[in-house]
Amino acid sequence: MHAFHIRYRNTQGTLMRLLNAVSRRGIDMPYVRAEAAEHTHKLTLLLDVNPKQIGQLGRDWRAVVDVIEVRAGAPLPEALAYEASWTGTPHPPAAAVGPATEAAASA
Amino acid sequence: MPKGAEIVLRCLRAQGVDLVCGYPGGAIMPLYDALEGSGITHILTRHEQGAVFAAEGYARSTGKVGVVIATSGPGATNLVTGIADAKMDSVPLVCITGQVRSSLIGSDAFQETDVFGMTMPITKWSHLVRTIDEIPEVIAQGFYWARSGRPGPVMIDIPVDLLKASAEFTGPVEFHPHPEGADVAVDSIFCQSLIALLGQAKKPVALIGAGAKLSGAVAELRCLLDELNIPTFATVHGLGAVPPEKPYYLGMVGMHGTRAANMALQETDLLLVFGARLDDRVTGEPTRFAPHARIVHFEVDPAQLDRVRSCDLPVIADLAESIPICRQKLAATSLPDWSSWRQVACGPDRAELDTKGLAQPTIRFLDELFRRLPQTTIVLADVGQHQMWAAQRYRSSSPRGFITSGGLGAMGFALPAAIGVQLANPTAMVVSISGDGGFQMNIQELATIHRLSLPIKIVVVDNKYLGMVRQWQQLFYDRNYAETDMSDNPNFVAIAYAYGINGRRLRAEALIGDQITPEANDTLDRFLESGKPELLTFECPPEANVYPMVPSGAALSEMLFEE
Repeated sequence: MHAFHIRYRNTQGTLMRLLNAVSRRGIDMPYVRAEAAEHTHKLTLLLDVNPKQIGQLGRDWRAVVDVIEVRAGAPLPEALAYEASWTGTPHPPAAAVGPATEAAASA
Repeated sequence: MPKGAEIVLRCLRAQGVDLVCGYPGGAIMPLYDALEGSGITHILTRHEQGAVFAAEGYARSTGKVGVVIATSGPGATNLVTGIADAKMDSVPLVCITGQVRSSLIGSDAFQETDVFGMTMPITKWSHLVRTIDEIPEVIAQGFYWARSGRPGPVMIDIPVDLLKASAEFTGPVEFHPHPEGADVAVDSIFCQSLIALLGQAKKPVALIGAGAKLSGAVAELRCLLDELNIPTFATVHGLGAVPPEKPYYLGMVGMHGTRAANMALQETDLLLVFGARLDDRVTGEPTRFAPHARIVHFEVDPAQLDRVRSCDLPVIADLAESIPICRQKLAATSLPDWSSWRQVACGPDRAELDTKGLAQPTIRFLDELFRRLPQTTIVLADVGQHQMWAAQRYRSSSPRGFITSGGLGAMGFALPAAIGVQLANPTAMVVSISGDGGFQMNIQELATIHRLSLPIKIVVVDNKYLGMVRQWQQLFYDRNYAETDMSDNPNFVAIAYAYGINGRRLRAEALIGDQITPEANDTLDRFLESGKPELLTFECPPEANVYPMVPSGAALSEMLFEE
């Protein structure tokens, strides 16, 4: 697992372009955190990527308009904890309306 | 107070826009209502895809930003192929779409699509306008990003209520990017490494891509290549950057490149790449590409580096900056003698083989056509076999003299793109070459050509197949010609007449071997001499193939030739 920290201006679509660079390569995103950081925004990602993908992602992210800085670093313990709980968890489609809600609605 | 639509048009004028291509519809109607008297000419195509390709043709042939306008929903989605094409081939393009009114966004209203989200991966920058006040800033920013660095498409989506609303307008604004996003001046320190690499090289070569013309550095690059005097070749978008008569020039490289270029690329020990992405059509199997080479990559967009192979020396800068520095430093350097390598790589043993087999009449036809064209001609090729034949045979000395959809390979590109090219270059001869498949993808643009009386020379190479797919089916799928047969093609000459365009027909039998019949000679001459739009259908053998060919997954040295 590699952690990436990206500082960006929170303009329209910038966060989505950053995430799209990952998703277009079919890479899972077990940990994503985007937050305000002083006058800009910060995105932290935990990704299972190979060295070639690290290079490609870094260059793609830097090419996004309004990205200020891209850094790779060691994963935070908090992020690793999220990642451990995510891995292997099945993701069945969840019904928006459960049986209990349906029963209440029909009563 | 002006309306939002008038503000948009005045901001476009401030960016130097005098021509836009588009197609009206509900959500963009206020902009069309304000067009008259704006100083902007609108070109009505017959499909939004035609409009975006026409805007691309305008941009590709001039280097200026092309502008396309469409309505919301299907109007916007019909732009998508052209936007992706512009992204792949680095074409500066501003797309303006109407959107449903602000209060309806997100409600799945009539003709509402999330074109902002839909085009995010294929644009450099995009913006959904939320207030009328931000229009001047958004348009200035859009043009800045379309032009800057590696050019590309931007999308500006404007809700119809903002186009109708009125506001104070103090005039167009300029956009200044944040310092972090600004280009950094190139440092000459890379030259020390370059000189060291050149000093060690025994078999250096140069590969020229689209970056040469995009940067406007062609003149400097030509001087540098003359000084280096090393075997040189080009990608399909680099054609014309190097005069084809140069003794060190080996033509196009890649899947259908010349024998000499592909062999030199596989043997080189130092590859200088000037503004090329090194995509898979250029490299062949990436793991076996230029196996002995160190790579020096001159590139304005760092995202293009190391995509298929790591480079040893990246030079991240506009070629217009880096090449003059190179020339200055190299002038004071004694370079090795590469004459023996040059004699091998550019020698007669590697000259192109004579065309054999079923492709012979088509090659002959293209040679006869190209031989008649003035130097200033701009040739457009659609996508497929005819595209590769044209790229192999047309020897332009103009960096913008050969235009095609290279990266995306979008069939249907050439005919509408030729409209934009002819509008931007009214005195130039413009020749659009399509296959029978691609021609039918935007055949409706014959109406646009007729309405504008554009003297475009339209060539349809009709083999009654989707030829390139059929070629792959023949070579790699045991001749299973699944769904590529087009033997029931319509009469293209009659269709041209129906659109008010004169049509002619040539058959392969008129161009066999070294012979061309007097009738065929006359047909070609009259086709080109006319000052009106003309269509010429060339009916060629259905099972002709493009050679040389590097099969998918093979190294560039493993070319197939006609047996």
